[in-house]
Amino acid sequence: MFIKIKNLNFKYPGNDSWVINDFDYSFRKGDIIGILGASGSGKSTLLRLMAGLEVPHTGEMLLNEQVIFNKKRIIKPEKRNIGMVFQDYALFPHMTVSKNIGYGITSRKDKNKRVEEVLKLVEMEDYAKRYPHELSGGQQQRIALARALAPEPSLLLMDEPFSSLDHDLQIKIREELRSIIKKAGITSVFVTHNRENCESISDEIIELENGKIKYSQSKTTSLN
Amino acid sequence: MHLNRLKGHINGWFIASTLIISLIILPNLNIIFRVFDGASENWAHIQKYLLPGYALNTSVIVLFTGLFTLLIGLVSAWLVTAYEFPFRRFFTWGLILPLTIPAYIGAYTYQGLLNYTGVVQSFFRNNLGFGTGTNYFDLMNLKGSIFVFTIFLYPYVFIITKSFLKKISASIIESGKLLGKSNLEIFFQIILPITRTALVGSVSLVILEVINDYGVVKYYGISTFSTAIFKTWFGMGDTASAIRLSALLMVFVFLILSMEKLLRGRKKYSYSSTKIRPMKRQQLTGIKKYLATIFSSLIFSLGFVIPVAQLLHWGYLTYSKVVDIDFILMTLSSISVSIIASILVIVTALIVGNYVRLSNTTISKLYSKVVTIGYSIPGAVIAIGVITLLIFVDRQLRGFYNNINFISGNLFLSTSLFMLIFAYVIRFLAIGYQSIDSGYDRIGNKFTEASRLLGENSLSTFFKVDLPMIKPAIYSGIVLVFIDLVKELPLTLILRPFNFNTLATKSFEYANDEMIHEASIAALIIITISILAILSMNQLFKKEAT
Repeated sequence: MFIKIKNLNFKYPGNDSWVINDFDYSFRKGDIIGILGASGSGKSTLLRLMAGLEVPHTGEMLLNEQVIFNKKRIIKPEKRNIGMVFQDYALFPHMTVSKNIGYGITSRKDKNKRVEEVLKLVEMEDYAKRYPHELSGGQQQRIALARALAPEPSLLLMDEPFSSLDHDLQIKIREELRSIIKKAGITSVFVTHNRENCESISDEIIELENGKIKYSQSKTTSLN
Repeated sequence: MHLNRLKGHINGWFIASTLIISLIILPNLNIIFRVFDGASENWAHIQKYLLPGYALNTSVIVLFTGLFTLLIGLVSAWLVTAYEFPFRRFFTWGLILPLTIPAYIGAYTYQGLLNYTGVVQSFFRNNLGFGTGTNYFDLMNLKGSIFVFTIFLYPYVFIITKSFLKKISASIIESGKLLGKSNLEIFFQIILPITRTALVGSVSLVILEVINDYGVVKYYGISTFSTAIFKTWFGMGDTASAIRLSALLMVFVFLILSMEKLLRGRKKYSYSSTKIRPMKRQQLTGIKKYLATIFSSLIFSLGFVIPVAQLLHWGYLTYSKVVDIDFILMTLSSISVSIIASILVIVTALIVGNYVRLSNTTISKLYSKVVTIGYSIPGAVIAIGVITLLIFVDRQLRGFYNNINFISGNLFLSTSLFMLIFAYVIRFLAIGYQSIDSGYDRIGNKFTEASRLLGENSLSTFFKVDLPMIKPAIYSGIVLVFIDLVKELPLTLILRPFNFNTLATKSFEYANDEMIHEASIAALIIITISILAILSMNQLFKKEAT
């Protein structure tokens, strides 16, 4: 299994109840995993724990056989090689599109080439010199995706990637998103509260309730 | 807490912030601990004969200044927000200008204007046939100090209340009208209660300024806690009593802050809808519109036009005598020290602010409270805390100084500019921190998190992402702190090195030496710097808004 999560527990400071409660699951390599759940179910928190933006209380997480968290070891977010697309994209407003995309690429030599590559992947080659505020919502989302993919992360996380888009655009973008991710061949986990969006692009669906798995379903092997 | 989780919270930001917080707390703890050292022989005398007077005078000034600034600030803010009358637009910003004149400069300017030989009484005697030998205006008393504090500090209430009133939805007032209430009833039954938080907050700021003041009460010869701390420290050389008075003043401030919390109440008024339709200004007609203009003009003239005109006249009379190379050098060094201290304040605020926002722990919440205490503690108290602490440190380091053949046997830290700048940072960190904190608040954590996930550590993220994004907050923070530093008096008077002057101390020294005319040039420079700073901030906010 590509990602293994064992007995993960987490609660926010000053809060008595567990947001993530004994979460235990494994994900296959190359799959797109959709996490469904109502607000407060813990789905975004689970994503933040995988990214390293929150520190779990107990449990263990492995990414590609490497421990990224257990009671002895904690890998910082910048060392996990995980990409993330934020709900409101978090594009740096003081940087152009190409600067935003190039931000996470460490190799200076290949930076321009890689920026061009991902811009082509998201079909935004003509927008390299623009600033984020000069783009529409759908274009910003593609740039956010390009920025996350540029450093070639081993895992891509997406937090409510469609919530800022209107309904028609959601249908168009989710098709494109699936095709881009599959083309990039990267394991992806995304959270949403919209079942339709979730079912249309995921290979595997998990529904969360009170920080626990309510049910899970795979397109290839149907499970409960 | 799990050891691993704890490790996740300890980083460079935490260590730097802890160091800063310790340096802020130390001088204050120093005062608290040394209170128990035992009283000096003067203390019994001070306690029995002088202390009741200090407490009474301070309380009377605080009470009446609070009341009058509340009235003037609220009425003027309500007028420019709710009504249309001649010159309203001008008064919207013009009524802020008295804040650019430090109260101590206002104090000696009004004294110079109204005393027996001043322009007003001379005019009365020479042109209106008033008799000689009678002093018609005497400002050098409690009433005079209350007048000066009120007229130069009411803008705090005006600015804060005005910005609060602007956010009040028109529908609230319209509901009141549809329910049959008159304008006056709406003001007292609706506007006043919902503005309470802003009023209490702004009047508390005025009160803290009054307690901090040394210049006005010293010049007018009124014994308050501030003047008493100076007198015991410099006049009697009685450190123990100065520390005890400082501790008592801290208790007084603590009581006022507790009262503020109580008066603010538990209710925070907010709107359920984010779309607020601002209230439409009502056109005043007939005599009412002229009364509104006359009231605003009167306040503006008393708080700005009259003192500035008088200072300009005195400046014209004395500039050739006052302005020489020494004066220019003093001005430059005064401005340089203020710039250095403002930058230090902002760097400190950036470090603690970044730690607080990235780490949501009990410790970080505590740190965010501690950085703001300096502004509540009067300058004289901070000065006593800092000077006694650094003399202690110097004594401990005496051997070290001798070993490196530095300045054998002498005090170093406690006689250098370092001490003054250190105290400035403690006192004005709250202002810088508030600015930086609101800057961090506006960008949130998502950009930082995005940068971390793209492989940058928190330090490079800070320089590449956070700093460029909060530039406006950094700039406004530096300007706000700088304005306060240029006019700062009590801390500078106690802690400045020998022969070091700032514009504020120079102006105050002249005035105290009965050379009021000569004090005007330094005063005018302070006022000009403050006006320019406010104008440039205004431009920045306009630019940001577009």
